[in-house]
Amino acid sequence: MELHVASVSLDPRDWRVGSTAAAEDERLATLIYDRLVTLDDYGRFQPALAAEWSHDAAEKNWQFKLRPGVKFSNGSLLTSSDVAKALQGLLPPPLQIIPGDNNLTIRSSRPVPDLLEQLASGRYFVFRKNPDGTLLGTGPFYLAENIPAQPAEANPAALKPAHLKFRANEEAWAGRPFVDTVEVTLGAPGLRQILDLQVGRADLVEIAPDLVRKARQDNLRVWRSAPATLLALRFDNSQHAASDDRLREAIDLALDRDTMANVLLQREAQPATALLPQWLTGYAFIFGSPMNLNRAREIRAALPSNEAGTAEPLRLRVDAPGDVMKLLGERVAVNARQANLAVQVTPHAAQANPPASPNPGSVAAGLHLVAWHYDSLSPRAELEALVSQLYQKDAFDTFPAYADPDKLYAEERRLLEQRRLLPLIALPDYVGIGPAVRNWSPAPWGEWRLADVWLEASESTTSGAPGESSGTNPKDRAPGVRP
Amino acid sequence: MWPIPESPFFRKSCSPALILLTFLLLGQSAAAADTNSLDDAILVLVDRVAAIPDLHGPLRLEFATGDGVAASPGKTWQESFKKELEARHLGLTEEPSAPPLRVALTATPTQWILVASVRSSDHDEVRLVSLPRASIRLPAMPAAPLRIERQLVFESPERILDASSLWNGSEGGIVLLAYRNGQLTALQTDRAGAVKQLIPILAADPQPSRDPRGELSAQGTDVEVLLPAKTCSFGWASHSEVKCRVVKPVWRATTVLTPPCDPAGWKIVTDGRDWAVPEMFQVVPDSSAREGSAAILSELPGPILNVNAEQNPASALVVTRNLHSGDYEVYRITLACGN
Repeated sequence: MELHVASVSLDPRDWRVGSTAAAEDERLATLIYDRLVTLDDYGRFQPALAAEWSHDAAEKNWQFKLRPGVKFSNGSLLTSSDVAKALQGLLPPPLQIIPGDNNLTIRSSRPVPDLLEQLASGRYFVFRKNPDGTLLGTGPFYLAENIPAQPAEANPAALKPAHLKFRANEEAWAGRPFVDTVEVTLGAPGLRQILDLQVGRADLVEIAPDLVRKARQDNLRVWRSAPATLLALRFDNSQHAASDDRLREAIDLALDRDTMANVLLQREAQPATALLPQWLTGYAFIFGSPMNLNRAREIRAALPSNEAGTAEPLRLRVDAPGDVMKLLGERVAVNARQANLAVQVTPHAAQANPPASPNPGSVAAGLHLVAWHYDSLSPRAELEALVSQLYQKDAFDTFPAYADPDKLYAEERRLLEQRRLLPLIALPDYVGIGPAVRNWSPAPWGEWRLADVWLEASESTTSGAPGESSGTNPKDRAPGVRP
Repeated sequence: MWPIPESPFFRKSCSPALILLTFLLLGQSAAAADTNSLDDAILVLVDRVAAIPDLHGPLRLEFATGDGVAASPGKTWQESFKKELEARHLGLTEEPSAPPLRVALTATPTQWILVASVRSSDHDEVRLVSLPRASIRLPAMPAAPLRIERQLVFESPERILDASSLWNGSEGGIVLLAYRNGQLTALQTDRAGAVKQLIPILAADPQPSRDPRGELSAQGTDVEVLLPAKTCSFGWASHSEVKCRVVKPVWRATTVLTPPCDPAGWKIVTDGRDWAVPEMFQVVPDSSAREGSAAILSELPGPILNVNAEQNPASALVVTRNLHSGDYEVYRITLACGN
């Protein structure tokens, strides 16, 4: 399996919520950790490390009974203290965890009707950190090797990508996974990943949105999740003009989201007019496209002549790597120019070649092109996290405590009307799947379920140690169904 | 002391007795209750739309579709919605210039969200109603082709490994080997699908597996359960203890159906290569001399997990997992003569 990122962290406490890097970390963490509960594809919470749960009428006190006999991959028993220790560092402060005798109480000063949605997603994994810093989980695999990127022997100037090897946990409480080993190569370039998939050097690869069309033309099997990453424009008061409501409105009205999604991204993205996606809230479709170039020009004409965006350019910093981000930044500048607004794009530091400035971060930018990866199955928690990371502090002082959809909708509308964050497009995750992969059944929202995948041995052309990365087709052994 | 337990299938608090009763009646009661939930949600939403101040018709009713709006459970709800609007004298029209009333029913990971949006005075009015996702059942699969008769005889959100007919024939029920609350259990149902008796097979103590296997056969009141490394037996009538012994399992051979009009028999062929895709149930002539004959096909809502012949030589019980609902389902498949 090959992933885009060059390095990963398997400690959920290190993840930056909403970042695309954290999404990759989470993807690998599902191999080695479990959560208290899971959500199936049919909207039903399923027991995982918690065998059952209950709550009081106010939904402030939740009790979880732990599954007995669950062991970490080193054979030691999972205790309620382990769970409390892991989750206490991850859950927001209003939630307090009290371990009991093979059970656990989570208390909150405010109702948390969406606690199960939160616990079934994101970084809420149960793990144990050993004194030597190593991390243990109860999941279907354990980390057997972690080789960081290092200079290649033949060419020390080039880096040999990082490599991780996960082996099957024979004692996993949910049953041993079908495959023996998952080998992960990090940081492979996009085209190389597609090639590796074609020649059988990989069974699963991430595919960048701008390479999906090529992968399809090459007759590769491509899976797409629901929209998982929001690309948005964030205004920053460090350039004074960004605090002007009229300037923000003019830019919003000038943005051509349809062209971004359908032409630049070749229909592999969706125009985004809401902060949260339709699949998570059910109401995003209500927020229609605000594009109105004539109105944008009218507003621009009424702006003071010395305002940034008019006299001097409004600087747009691309805050995430990738060709798509760069293209999108340039498109924003084009749209702004159509409304007679000047926007100057500063590329992401990793892509500035030669660097746009000695230290791009030191240049005050009024606009940022940001990527936000949806992380929670609770729309309320997701919106709260997004606001806390991407908005000014005062934006979430009155954040609703309830998961009521009416209130959530009202809050999102209020945020959109502020135009501090302008949604542009939403990108799904794309995965190229090798011909030998069977039972590929990820969650619609993007979580992979590699423990349930097996490989068709006869078709597998995967390289590596024979037998290690090939699985067993359980249907070959299933009773009563063989022809 | 624990408060009222909450199982994954019953999110709102309810008593253990009610959970047990619900489980026992699961096969019959769920569909009717769930339909009412969506009906109630429609009524609530229509009432809330009708209560919007200064909303004057006629309105143009639009049901949102397209990217992001998930596939809804059929179109019946749209008809119900329209009917309820008309009952409240909210005028509807198909005139393109009329203000739109936009409505969508979308599945989020945990809920169905029913949304209505309409312009009133100078601003948008939006009303939302949510209901648990598991409370709406998707419409049944279309009827099977005539030559293969298919009857749903049992369904459960919990994993079913195998099903066997009660071979005494008098009551017409079935026996199931299933996981109930994580415990391997044999269940006996009556003709209507209601569970009459449960026996946990504690003695089997199976190793947890992502591919749990098991077969059961019922002869009168005696049941034998075959597991990967042992066989267990017990009797329904005597409530006898479940006894297990170590054996090397010999799994069931290919099932052959023999309709009255073709004594040569047809064997059941399953693809069995992927649990993530629905499977085509097919029967082909059993004799190699007739290999050129066409196969008879019937689309199932998910992969076939097990097949077990019945006393009637023309029928078998097929265990599948419905990929639309996530439930495990048992079908009685009968190879019927004629068209």
